[in-house]
Amino acid sequence: MSGIHLVNGLAGLLIVTSLLVVTARKPAHSAMFYAAQSFVLVLVFLALAGVTGSHELYTWSATAFFTKVILVPVIMSRLFGRLEDQKLGTGERISPALSVILAAVVVVLCFVVVSGVALPTAEAVKPALAISLAHFFLGLACIVTQRNILKQVFGYCLMENGSHLTLALLAANAPELVEVGIATDAIFAVVVMAVLGMQIHRTLGTLDADQLTTLKG
Amino acid sequence: MLDLALATILLPVAGAVLVAVSPQPWAKRICQVFSGLAVVTVLLLTWQFSAAGKVPVQATLIAFGDTAILGFTVDTVSVLVAIAVVSIGFLIAIYSGAYLGAGNREHPDIGRRRFYAFLALFIGAMAGVVFTDTLIGQLVFFEITGACSWALIGYYEKPKSLYSAAKALIITHIASLGLYVAASVLFLDTHTFSLSAIANLDDTGKTIVLIAIMVAAWGKSAQLPFHMWLPDAMEAPTPISAYLHAASMVKVGVYIVARSLMASGGAPEIVGWVGVVMAVITLVFGFLMYLPQADLKRLLAYSTITQLAYIFLALSLSVFGSKLAFNGAIAHVFNHAFAKTLFFLVAGALSYTTGTRMLPVLRGVLSKAPLIGVAFAVAALAITGVPPFNGFFSKFAIFAGGFSVSQAHPLLYVLVGIALLESVGSFAWFLKWVGWTVPGRPTDPVAAAAPLPAAMGFVLVVLVIMSVCSSFIAAAWLG
Amino acid sequence: MSSVLPILLLLGPLVGSLAIFALPVGKEASRTVEIVHVAAIGFLLVMALAVGGVTLASGPVGAFGQWVYVDPLAAIFVGLVGVVGFLTGLYSLGYIRHDVEHGELTPFRHKLYYGFFNLFLFTMLLAVTANNIVMMWVAVEATTLGSAFLVGIYGKRSSLEAAWKYVIICTVGVAFGLYGTVLTFSNGSEVLADPHGAILWTTLFANAKALDPMLVKIAFVFVLIGFGTKAGIFPMHAWLPDAHSEAPSPVSALLSGVLLKCALFVIIRYYAITMQAVGPEFPQTLLLLLGFLSVAVSAFLFFVQQDLKRKLAYSSVEHIGLILLGLGFGGPLGLGAALLHAVNHSFAKALLFCGSGNVLMKYGSRDLGTVKGLLRVAPVSGVLMMAGALALAGFPPFNVFVSEFMVFNAGLGSGWIWLTIGAALLLTVTIAGFVQIISGSVLGKAPETMRKGDLGFATLAPMGLLMALVLIFGFAVPQPVTTLIGRAASVVAGGPATALEPPTPIYGIAPQLQLEARR
Repeated sequence: MSGIHLVNGLAGLLIVTSLLVVTARKPAHSAMFYAAQSFVLVLVFLALAGVTGSHELYTWSATAFFTKVILVPVIMSRLFGRLEDQKLGTGERISPALSVILAAVVVVLCFVVVSGVALPTAEAVKPALAISLAHFFLGLACIVTQRNILKQVFGYCLMENGSHLTLALLAANAPELVEVGIATDAIFAVVVMAVLGMQIHRTLGTLDADQLTTLKG
Repeated sequence: MLDLALATILLPVAGAVLVAVSPQPWAKRICQVFSGLAVVTVLLLTWQFSAAGKVPVQATLIAFGDTAILGFTVDTVSVLVAIAVVSIGFLIAIYSGAYLGAGNREHPDIGRRRFYAFLALFIGAMAGVVFTDTLIGQLVFFEITGACSWALIGYYEKPKSLYSAAKALIITHIASLGLYVAASVLFLDTHTFSLSAIANLDDTGKTIVLIAIMVAAWGKSAQLPFHMWLPDAMEAPTPISAYLHAASMVKVGVYIVARSLMASGGAPEIVGWVGVVMAVITLVFGFLMYLPQADLKRLLAYSTITQLAYIFLALSLSVFGSKLAFNGAIAHVFNHAFAKTLFFLVAGALSYTTGTRMLPVLRGVLSKAPLIGVAFAVAALAITGVPPFNGFFSKFAIFAGGFSVSQAHPLLYVLVGIALLESVGSFAWFLKWVGWTVPGRPTDPVAAAAPLPAAMGFVLVVLVIMSVCSSFIAAAWLG
Repeated sequence: MSSVLPILLLLGPLVGSLAIFALPVGKEASRTVEIVHVAAIGFLLVMALAVGGVTLASGPVGAFGQWVYVDPLAAIFVGLVGVVGFLTGLYSLGYIRHDVEHGELTPFRHKLYYGFFNLFLFTMLLAVTANNIVMMWVAVEATTLGSAFLVGIYGKRSSLEAAWKYVIICTVGVAFGLYGTVLTFSNGSEVLADPHGAILWTTLFANAKALDPMLVKIAFVFVLIGFGTKAGIFPMHAWLPDAHSEAPSPVSALLSGVLLKCALFVIIRYYAITMQAVGPEFPQTLLLLLGFLSVAVSAFLFFVQQDLKRKLAYSSVEHIGLILLGLGFGGPLGLGAALLHAVNHSFAKALLFCGSGNVLMKYGSRDLGTVKGLLRVAPVSGVLMMAGALALAGFPPFNVFVSEFMVFNAGLGSGWIWLTIGAALLLTVTIAGFVQIISGSVLGKAPETMRKGDLGFATLAPMGLLMALVLIFGFAVPQPVTTLIGRAASVVAGGPATALEPPTPIYGIAPQLQLEARR
């Protein structure tokens, strides 16, 4: 059962990396932490593949490594590195300490919810499943608590990683095309958001979501 | 025969479309021609119907499987009311042709296409209400008349008239939810929208459907608690007030109640009680509201509210078993249509020629404009029910029917008695204004009055004649 | 049945879009782009109707190993994409050209517009023809990405802001949808003999009773939040008024008329599974709650807006709420009413958004305080706006009245009497709002400086066609459509696709139409 322990342990590491993504000072740093996190995710996939013997998961790990560890972080650091908004500062609505506490609360809540699920496959990996759910909501929290629109993009990436992990945990034998579809879509989403973010930076001269207030009511 | 009924509905609608796509100067003539054609078809229909022995005919026009969506019924009641609404529509189209002109001293205008298109559409929709024999059909035409009324009240596009128009539309729409409920309940219970299916409902079902219809009717006929839109609707051009808010649209309410009562094959008494009580409350309220009015049109609006309350009273009394009251109600729909139209058109003639319709400054009309003066007196006497004018005969039937059913229900004595008192009171009040306005020396605005256009005069004469004759026509027709 | 039709259907707009992107940009707006665009949308219309016809004649059509699947439910939405996509695509010609002439769009953006327009159509088609639930999600997500550029195409402050809000709120929302999809899929792969079948909606639906009920419930909540965001359900509607008001008017029409319905389509798919798995009570309660809240909140927000297009956007939220109510009332009548209302609302709303486009071209403003006297300035546009507003307010003889009445009827029939009457009263507020539009903007005195004369045939003709549809569906819903809707309602309710043939409409005067004899 050491494989399963490895899966659960690595999943715990995911929460740490995602907190780093959320609390990083600069978007470019976030991109690096995001790459680290995706690498952990790939490790989780590999561990899972070892446990379940699902050869689809090996393929997933490969595609995830390519898209999430390399492609998306590179795109983001390339595009975001040039965007600056001095006035915005860190753009946090809540302090990093508070973020950590919030994350803890989310994780506990997710453990409670997951304990109600009765699927046989979920039995052994319940901690990891809870963390994948928590990861999803951490991403959401990131979008809500960060004013920097680039950070909000990372929030979306975290949400997507969370659901990706859930999929791997609960349905390790899904067709590869599913995974490819989700990954491609995520890349496109990031690209579209990045392009829009750049246009906003160029036209409005800010990256602050609170400055986007022309439309009301 | 049913083709004729359909033609009566579609001809004015076609006219409306034609008005919309034709140049503005043609609008007036197109509207007049097509409403005239509708009169021809309705008269042909009458002739065929009586030649065939006045046997009621029904036909379904649109059905969805076994569910009748839209159908027509031609019987004595629908034909009589159709004659009134279509022919008055034609008279209004003629009158409006002169009224909406540069010579109008109160509202100089050119008679836009919008006016004639909606007027023609309204005539068609009104004929639709009269002939249809399904609840959903009634609901459709009910809403179309409401939309036309909204467009026409707001015709002058002043903030106040637009506000009044929206108010009328929204209040009558809220009331129309009653028809939504009635049609839905009927459909869910019997899988058809045919009015005749009301007879197949149990007593609870009948009570729900009939009271729901009555709620819708109160809205359209400006009864309490939905009355407040009608006095404001007097912002409309006066021919519209005459037609929509006196002769036809406000009659939609009473008419749909009458039809559903006819179809119900004996309604639960609770429906009668609800109807009678609300009618008497409206009567008393309407009468009290006469007293502070100085604007002739607002006075007439409240008078319309009370006259419609009489009709509701009569229909509700018929629930207790009085056929006389029912016939009185239908006759009163017919008679009141002519008399009240006349009265409004008198108001219109006064504002056209003198530029005002404020009663306190209108005196000595008879000496300056004899036709208007005579028409004023005739209209007032007909409305208040003085023999030999038409109002008397239908009111008489209503009271006679009311007292006959009161023997079984003593409380009705009280309620009908209150109504009788109102009748006397309103007679006195209108007599006062006739005495003030018609005889005597002309005041300045009256003395400076412009001549009345011939078309308007012609319409007034026709209506004066009908204010005497209509009750005889109705009595002969209803038998 | 397998067929090549759905593939052709999907390829049309995709190829059109790629071709347009590949075309060169000159100094002026390219005619070639417009020609390719018209060819693509014309092809789309024909294929959409053909697919609908085949579905009607010989049952559900599949392709790509059942990854693409058009049953009666999907056929309705394919038809919507085809018809409304075609008409708004036609309307775009006049509108976008006007924008190019007035320097609001460069020739390059003119090309981008048509490219993304067709791409957007493709993604919506993909969403409604998907049987693979992950592909369904991918397609819905792709609709956001495809249309985001259309929303922000003017590149102004406000349009970029709207596009940003649109992308963030919708992708985040749709991420919930992904979670729901993943949960449903893993749930299915756990209990099905062939785990790969769990990716197909048809298989999941057929085996819904075997699914874990708790997970189904959680998944439905996620799906409702996720795709509900895209459908503009309160309280996830925040993106909708911004995006609808800032997008070019034909795109607003497409967003409101079709995109929202595509997201609803996905919700209906999951609703069907959920009803089978855990019974109707749980999903119906949720739908009724959200539906009523949507109607209630948007009715008042609708009323207070001063911006024409924002007003229309809130009205969309309201009508989505009404559709949810119909779905929530359930039963063949409620489901049928909801589907018909989805169709009817699309036509009427597309008409009004196109009308708002004419207002924008004429007045350069959407502010109801500035826009006055449209009827005098541009009589045809004015009449169409007036009729469209009355139609959306629910007046007969227009189409929205028919389906609203059916929803009302379904509500009373399912026993939710006060909820139904409450919703009907709230709709009265909407009437007041539409009356405000008409009396404030269509009527009234036009500004002195305004040049009289209507807009060109290019913009009026598509509106005229939409008006015709609104009227036709008001007088008599065409038989093929009622049949499709009847079958779709039966499918969603869990019956066979052939059951519940709606009765045939009969027209013409005949005493009693032999109704008695037929009974």
